[in-house]
Parts: sequence; structure tokens; C-alpha cells
Amino acid sequence: MSRSVLLVEDDPLVRRVVRMTLAAEGYEVTEAETGEAALERLGEGGVDAVLLDLMLPGADGFETCRRIRRTSDVPVIVVTARADSHDVVAGLEAGADDYVTKPFVPKELTARLRAALRRSPAEDPSPRVEAGDLVVVPRDGLVLLHGEPVDLTRTELRLLCELAAVPGRATTREELLERVWGYGYFGDSRLVDVHVRRLRTKVEDDPAHPRHVVTVRGIGYRLQP
Amino acid sequence: MSHPPPRAHDGQRATRPRAVRWRSLRGRATVLITGLVLVLSAVTTVAVWTAVSQYLLVHRQRSAVAQASANAAQVERGLRTRGLPAPDLLAQLPRESGSTSLLLQRGEWTTTSLTVGADDLPTGLRRAVVDGSASSQRVEVDGGVALVVGVPLAGIDDAYFEVFGLGDLDRTFRALSTGMLAGAALLPCAALLLGRWLARPALRPLEEVSTAAAAIAAGDLGARIEPHGDPLLVPLATSFNGTARALERRVLADARFAADVAHELRTPLTTITAALAIVQARREHLPEDAREGLDLLGHELDRFHRLVLDLLEISRSSGDGTLAAVEGVLLPDLVERSLPEAARHLLVVEPEARRVRVCADKRRLRQVVVNLVENAEQHGGGATRVTVSCTAEHGLVAVDDAGPGVPVGDRERVFERFARGRSGDRASTGGAGLGLSLVVRHLEAMDARVAVTDSPDGGARFVVSLPREDA
Repeated sequence: MSRSVLLVEDDPLVRRVVRMTLAAEGYEVTEAETGEAALERLGEGGVDAVLLDLMLPGADGFETCRRIRRTSDVPVIVVTARADSHDVVAGLEAGADDYVTKPFVPKELTARLRAALRRSPAEDPSPRVEAGDLVVVPRDGLVLLHGEPVDLTRTELRLLCELAAVPGRATTREELLERVWGYGYFGDSRLVDVHVRRLRTKVEDDPAHPRHVVTVRGIGYRLQP
Repeated sequence: MSHPPPRAHDGQRATRPRAVRWRSLRGRATVLITGLVLVLSAVTTVAVWTAVSQYLLVHRQRSAVAQASANAAQVERGLRTRGLPAPDLLAQLPRESGSTSLLLQRGEWTTTSLTVGADDLPTGLRRAVVDGSASSQRVEVDGGVALVVGVPLAGIDDAYFEVFGLGDLDRTFRALSTGMLAGAALLPCAALLLGRWLARPALRPLEEVSTAAAAIAAGDLGARIEPHGDPLLVPLATSFNGTARALERRVLADARFAADVAHELRTPLTTITAALAIVQARREHLPEDAREGLDLLGHELDRFHRLVLDLLEISRSSGDGTLAAVEGVLLPDLVERSLPEAARHLLVVEPEARRVRVCADKRRLRQVVVNLVENAEQHGGGATRVTVSCTAEHGLVAVDDAGPGVPVGDRERVFERFARGRSGDRASTGGAGLGLSLVVRHLEAMDARVAVTDSPDGGARFVVSLPREDA
């Protein structure tokens, strides 16, 4: 089955070569030059993942990402200039699932894309986990807070399901990076931290004092049963 | 390691003679002021000594003469009116202790002392007095200094003499000279301290300049001189600060230019790399010579890619918006995973460091380890050992190599941008000379340090120290 990737990039040469690269890997690629065009194209449906350059004319990548998140939980991978600048964290906080830095090599890009598209509920989902007033049903991809369904992105859902698989036990960031994002030892821990932060705004009554997804200092995170 | 050829215009070295000159200037100022104070105080001491001793002596002499004259008058009166015998007459005289009266009457001597007689009086004085003029003279009597005062009396050849011991005056002089000598002995010390103290404010402008210049040399381009309203310092500060500002502007402009170039290169590099990958995927369909060209292209593009990444890293580290994703990591684990496959067997973890956790950015620390090992390969004849150890506060990673080591004078310079080993290394190694300066940048962002020392095996040892998480 061919997956469709929306490529948002203003440089025509980069667009062309990325399209060729992704096409060679069997992806179907649609292109957008600006953030506005991307949102329009996304509205037409049929997009499985978005590759979004943060340096765009007009509405920049951060703004575009926030707007995408208002209507869609499609995986978004942002292209940033710097791995260690505020851009990465800002992009993740705007709702991106993952990032690559420019100049990237094609292998990196396709690896990130594969991992994002594979990010569906765990292979052997536990039927139902209750953590106080939070209920996680990994099999159905369903999360309820006070009985109300919570809208999570695929990455957030996967993250919560990983924690729900071992309720009450801490999972290290390295483990989460590997299982959710497919990164090795040198994966960027900020991915986990920012996603946990975003997850908390959705599943905690008071995100500043989390009761469900709690930090285990120096180790990682834990779902408090 | 990089072994830069000794160069006369090397910035590090150029500052050294200036430092020495400054030090000797301060020394000279101190010596000059000390010497001046010494001479001044020596003159003062001598002058005070002369004046005081003269004054005391004259005073003493005057009072002695006065007393002798009074006594002589009394003796004369006594002789004339009462006709008392000479010894009784002399015994009645008011005399200070230690003084002796002698009376010459019609050729006969009478004395109040058993030890001091007419023989003790100098002949010249005796004659002068007998001839009718009152005189005084200092003489040696009984091994002590004494003052003899002679007064002629009315009778022919009659005279009155009085010998005053000057022992008390001598003691006063001795006490005075002891005090002044002690003062003179202490004076050099006091003068030296005073000299230093006086030299300091005089040289403060130089110290300010020296501190600021050292700060700039150490990389703090924002260092300026604050004149604190000191009129001596204002013109110096103005010109120095102007120079420093110009230097800072130029360095920043250079850095921005490098950053801009690197940023502009990102997009075409992305395109070229991806395009090349597409061609490489069809390598099998290419004729033999095209394959060779493609491999060459791939190899060079790889180098180019790395150089651009390094340049970006350098420019982002010196620019703003830099973030280190610092977290607690198990150091031996991180180092082992960072080492290239071929270098893993070089790792030695000290037993006490097996569980040591440090605060580090994994991505940055990996690049530090990789760059140090690569540096050892390129400039140090290959890495011989990578050691993980720890102290109470730091986790340490040491990379030893088989090279000739880094001379002490070059140990700062090897970390500078584009510092490279012996000229000619370039073609063979392909290093751009950014590796070690990147190491410094990465470590600075993590609050860690690197230093070069000697390896016990003879080569160089680069030691990285990172703050412990539990310290």
C-alpha cells in the first residue's frame, strides 16, 4: 500500500530531490510551497505524513504546525536548521512528532518517516489500564479522562500506551525513545520530555502537578496507577 | 595532536615579552621609590643626629661653664672674705655628682677627688687659664670623657678648674644612636612596603590594561577598561576600548560570515547529497569508469558534508540560541557507545568509575569522544587508550595517543580554530582543524573542560572532565 507524504518546502530543487528519494522508497509525494498551500492540501485528505520545513515564507513552519494540529493528528516531521537550538523544542511544542536537521542525508529522512508511519498502537496491547480517573484502552486507541474521550496524536497515544504497559513502573527515556520513535542510544531525550509535557496538558487536570504521568527523577516516567 | 610550527607573530607568544616588561616596570618603580625614601630618610637621620647631638653638647658645655664660673666666683669670695682653707672652701661648693673641683692657689693644688688631679688637666688649658683667660676643653679622664672648665681667679696665678664627667651625655648619645640605628635598620623594610604601596596606584592603569588584554586574549572580546573617573586612565581607556570594540566587531563579522556561508550551503548540500544517493542506488547500472567517478564524488561529498556540519556547529556555538540538552548519563556507557567500532577495545574503565554518572549532552559528548579519537589518529599516531575514571566531583575521559606529545607552549593553541599539525598533514589527513576547537565548544556548552597533558606512555593525553551528576 502506497503511503502519501505531503512535502512542505520552498526550495524547488530540494522538493524535487526529496520527491525522487521518497518515490524511490515507494512513497507517493505531494508538494506544497507554503504553509497555506499545505493546509489546503491537507484539507483534501489522503495525507499520511507531513514533512515540514520550519523556515518557510509567509506563515512559518511553527505556525503551520500549530494549525495542522488543530484539525489533524497526522504525523508531522519538521526540518530544522539546528539540532541544539530552540527551534527543535519550539517545533515539538508546536505539535511536531519528530525532527530532522538540514543538511540531512536521505537515509535519515526515510528512517524518520518510516518510524512515524509505523507509530500505531503496540503489537500486543493490554486490554484496559486504569490510573485513577484516567482510562487507557490501547487496543482501541482510546483514552478517557473522567469518562470523556481525550484526543491524542498518534505519538502521544503510543507514548501513553508504553507507560500503560507497565503501570506503576518507571520507563527510561532511552526505552521510550527506542520504542516510540525507533531511536538508538543517542536519540534526543527532548523528544520524550516535550511529548510528555504535551501529553500532560491533555490527560492531567493540573499539568503543573501531574498525578497520572509522573516524572521519576534521573530515570524517566511512570504511569501512576 | 596539532604541532604548530613556531611562528614569530603567534598571538600567544607576542603577549609574553609585554608581560615581562610590565613586571619589571613595576619592579623598577618600586625600587626607585624605595631608593628615594631610603636616601631621604638617611639624610634626615644624619641631620637629626648632628643637630640633636650638637645641641645637647653645646647646652651641656654652656651649663658647665656657667656652673664653673659661679663656683669660681664663690671660691674667690670665700678666699677673700672668710679666709677659709681651700679644701673646706671647695667642699662647700654646690656641685653636680661626678664633677671635681680643683683649685690652684699660690702654686698649690687642692682637689675634691682622689683620682682626678692636676695631672689630668691638659697643659695648654692650664697655661691659658693661668694666663688669665677662661677656657674649656674636652679630655679623657679615667677612661671616660670629661669637660674641663678653667676660670682664672683674682690672685696671681690662681685659678679654679672644674672637671665635669660627660658620662650621662654619653649615655644619652648612645641611647639616641641606638634608637636611630634601629630606625635606620627598619627603614629599608618600611621603604620597600611604602614603595610597593605607592607604586600600585601609579601602575593601576597598566594593571587595568593588562587584565583587560588578558581577558581579550582568553577569548572574552567584551572586556573593556573602566576608567573609574581616573584622569590618568581616561585617554588610555578610550583608545584601548576603541581597539577592543573594533576587534570584537571584526571577529563577530568573521563568525557571522562563516555562519552565513555554512547556512547557505545547507540547502544545496541537501540537494546534492540526496541526488547523489539516487545515483548511488543505481551504481550497478553504470559503466566501470562512471562508478569510479561516483565513488570519488561520494567520498569527497562526505568530507564536504562533515566540514559544513562542523562549521555550522562552530557558528552555532559562538552565536546565540545555543542549547545543550544536558541530562544525567552513565559515563562509561556513553563513552563505549561513542567510540568507533575499531576503537572499542581501547576502552579502560577504572573500577571506581563503573557507575559514575555525569551531566552531559549525549550528542555533544559523543562528538567530543569521536573528535578526540580522530585527532589522535590524524596527528598522534593513533589512539592507544581511552580511560574513564573519576574524582569526587568530576567524571574523566582521557584519550592517550602514540605521538610525540604536545609541547607545553602549544597546549592552548591546539584548541584554536584551524590550528593544525605540521604543515603538509593536510593532504594526508583531510582534517579541517576544527575538531579540537569543536571539542572545546561542545564542552563549554556542558560546563565541562578539556586539557592536554603527557600520556604516561610518552604521547599526548587529552583529558575531558565533566561535572558528576551526584556531586
